[in-house]
Formats: sequence, C-alpha cells, structure tokens
Amino acid sequence: MRWGMVIDLRKCVGCQTCTVACHEENALPPGVFWRHVVDVEVGEYPDVRRTFLPMGCQHCAEPPCVPVCPTGASQQRKDGIVFVQYDMCIGCGYCAIACPYRARHMVQDHTWYFGEPTPSEAQAREPERHGVMTKCTFCKHRVDKAPAGATPGVDPEYTPVCVSSCIANAMHFGDLDDPASNVSRLRDEHQPGVLLEELGLKPSLFYITE
Amino acid sequence: MPAQLQHEWDLFHATWFTLMGIGGGIFLLARLLRVEARLGVWFGIPAVDVVSFVLIGVGGLVLVWSLGRPFRMLRAVLKPGTSWISRGAIADFIFLVTGGVLVLPGLAVGGVKPFAWLPWDAWAANAAGTAIEIVALGAAAIVIVYAGLVLSDKAAITYWRSPLVPAQFVLSSLAMSMATVMVMEALNGAPVARVQWWLLAKFSALLLLTIVWHVVHDRAKPGKAEALTRLATTYRWLFFAGVVGAGTILPGLLALLGAGAPSDRPALAFACLVLTVAGGFYLRLLTLRVGYFPPVSGALRLSKRPR
Repeated sequence: MRWGMVIDLRKCVGCQTCTVACHEENALPPGVFWRHVVDVEVGEYPDVRRTFLPMGCQHCAEPPCVPVCPTGASQQRKDGIVFVQYDMCIGCGYCAIACPYRARHMVQDHTWYFGEPTPSEAQAREPERHGVMTKCTFCKHRVDKAPAGATPGVDPEYTPVCVSSCIANAMHFGDLDDPASNVSRLRDEHQPGVLLEELGLKPSLFYITE
Repeated sequence: MPAQLQHEWDLFHATWFTLMGIGGGIFLLARLLRVEARLGVWFGIPAVDVVSFVLIGVGGLVLVWSLGRPFRMLRAVLKPGTSWISRGAIADFIFLVTGGVLVLPGLAVGGVKPFAWLPWDAWAANAAGTAIEIVALGAAAIVIVYAGLVLSDKAAITYWRSPLVPAQFVLSSLAMSMATVMVMEALNGAPVARVQWWLLAKFSALLLLTIVWHVVHDRAKPGKAEALTRLATTYRWLFFAGVVGAGTILPGLLALLGAGAPSDRPALAFACLVLTVAGGFYLRLLTLRVGYFPPVSGALRLSKRPR
C-alpha cells in the first residue's frame, strides 16, 4: 500500500478551501500552511495561462528529508506517509533545507490568532509541536481511523481534509499500489506529471495538467 | 513557484561553522606542524588545545542555542549512517573527549599534577599519547570538514550542492587557523616559521581558486543563477571586496610578504588573523544567505495551445 494524491489542475479554481480546511483540521499556528495553493503563470507570451497549484508535502517514496535528520524524527511509514515524530525532533531545520518542495515548517513559538488560544486551538494544538519541524501528515489521524470496509479517499471522514473539502473535486486520495483505486484509475487515464521529476524523489502527488 | 531563499539557517549557523573551523583547524595545524609548544603553555597543557576546546565548545553551544528544542541535543548523534549533522556531532564529542584526555597528564594546578600517573604523555611523546593524538587529529579533521558537507550532501539548494562548498570551508578554516597559530606564536614571543607563511599563502590561493571555480561553474542552473545574481547585487561589496578581496587575496599577499619580512611578522600575522576570520565568517554567512531553493515547475510543462 502506498498512499498518494492525484490533483487535477484543470479543475482547481484556487479557492484555498483546502488551505483553510487543513489549517483548521491541524490547528496550525498563524503563518504556517501545510497545504496552500500557489497562483502561477505558465507558458510564454502569447501562450500564457494562469494555473493554480496546490502544494504541500509530496510524501516522496525517496524522501530526502528522512536520511538527513540527525535524530530519526523524520520518518516514513510503510504506507509511504512521511511524518515527524515530534518528541524526537530537535528543531535543527536540516530536513527543511533538504526538501526541494519547501513543505516543512518550523513552529518556533506558541502563537495564536487572538493572543490567547481559542477553544478549538487549545483542543487541537499538540504542545509537542513547539520548537520542532512540522509538515503535512496526509491527515494520518483520519486515515488511520478508517474501520474495516471504509476506504480513505472514498469515505470523506477517513480522507485527508484537503481532499474531502475540495469544492471542485480536483483532489483525489487513494492507494497508488491498488490498480482499482480512484487514484490509479486517474493515473492510467491522464498520465499525470510530478513536480521536479528530475530529482528522482518519486513524489506521491501527481498533477493532471492536460 | 519561483526560486525561493532559505530562511532556516543564518547567523547562528555561520558562527557555528566558523568557530568549528578555527577550533578544529588550530589543533590540527599546531599538532601536525609540531609547533604546539611554541604557542604557550597554560596550566601545564598546550595553550592551543585550550583555545581549540573553548572555540569548539562555544561553537557547539551556538548550535544548541539555535535549535528549536535545545535540551534534546544529545539525540543529534543517533543517525551517523545518513546524516552529516550526526557525524559532525559525534566527531565534536570524540575530539573534545580525546583531546581533553590527551592533555590531562600535563594539567598542573598550584604546582601539582593530579593526573601525572596516567600512562600517556600530554605532548604525545609516547606510544599511548601518539595513539590518542591520532584519534583526536582524525576527529578534528572531520570537525573542519563536516560543516561544508552538511550543506553539499543532500540539501535541496543548488548553490550548496557542490563539492566546492566543503572545499571552500576547509581551505578557509585552514587559513583562519594558520593565522591564529601565527598570532599565538607572536604573542608568546616565538618565531613564526617561514613554512607557515607559505602554507597560509597556499591556503589563500586555493581558497580563491575554489571560490572562483564555484562562481563560474554551472552558472545557469536553476537556483544557482538566482544565488549568483544575489551575490552580484545585494552582496556585491561584501562578497567581492570583502570575502574575495580583503578576506582571501589580501591575506595571501600579506603571507607572501611575511615569508620575506621577519621583522614585521607579528603585525602581519595579526592583520592576517583579522582578515581571514572576517572573510571566513562572511564566506559562510553569504553562502547561507544566497541559498535558493530551485523553482518548482516540473508539472507545469503544459502543451502549447493553438493561438
């Protein structure tokens, strides 16, 4: 099993719902966004187009952030999810330097949107996340909750919140190793590309462009 | 996404890299050139070793201070198989332990040598002392090399991903360390050998060569092009006049002068120390400050639409 995403850039309208949903679901501090949508201009005049590019951790099969970590806090699960074991991280920043997708975010201080933590922030923010590196977890707390018979990527409750909240159905999550999964079908149909393919990191986020 | 500057590592890391470079370098050069006795003796132990331990200790503390979770620092040694920070932390630890153990027999407090019974010589004059010294020298060598390897090994930043970065850091460390050794000799009233001036001139020349090579090589690579532009605009004076001119070429020329001017050597040595340390620090700081992540655009190679 290897979790992955297929993102259809033809459908993404750049509404940033995924950004806000991720921020809320993971109780991220102000200024930290594990998922964000970049507004990019592609092509050359006169063939220029505006495209929205949802960015975040690519959960690479060969993640450069994992081997550089001096403590072993940066880890990769058997299902491909790359995450940070907060209680092992010393906050050296080496993994952020190693990630070409700029998907890692250091949370230096406890900061809140309104000075004091809101009930939601107080409930959801892990105290262990202070002074350590943070990143997208593919909402593993939701994915891992899936009972027998439920399928992450199909059942919204057990799907990464950025995917289940997408208003345009541009984002899809599923098992890349399962040929019958939604993401495998989309890959077969559209031959999506990956970001910075030349680096050979084998990202798990695929982008449909045409 | 366009190329983007890194903001993770800055002043603390440049300071850490510089202090480690000098700390490891002076131990290495003084012991290899066998001049440690000429640099003074404090409490019965070579002064250069004390300076070296203090610099590495302070460098380590600067790094620890920069960590998000400084009290977990001991965990940094857990992944020597793949992480240069782990390897470096282990080398620092081995260096401080073996270097400290080596000089213990010579330690004199109030005329008493409490560790004189230890079976090795603090100046590595017997087999046991030599064995400990070799381990300490090996660790010191890693201490001055690993800072550059941390940047060049697996970083995503194009400007850093070159063997020329560790080469620059090592040569800069050796130049700063040689100048430090010469100043310590001068302060102790000992003569500075001609070979030391020649070595400083060679380190400076090689450093200049690696800097120029790094700047002219692969100029158009995504991420490196932006770094070079930043060097040539925002930091043009600091880099070209400061790091290259005052921090590399000038000490090299002064070293050549020192090789032929015995009477002016203390003043020249002091000038070389100031110039090489300032140049070395800014070399490291600017290397960090022009670190650009390459642009992320692979998926956006869209096929052309008809006009």
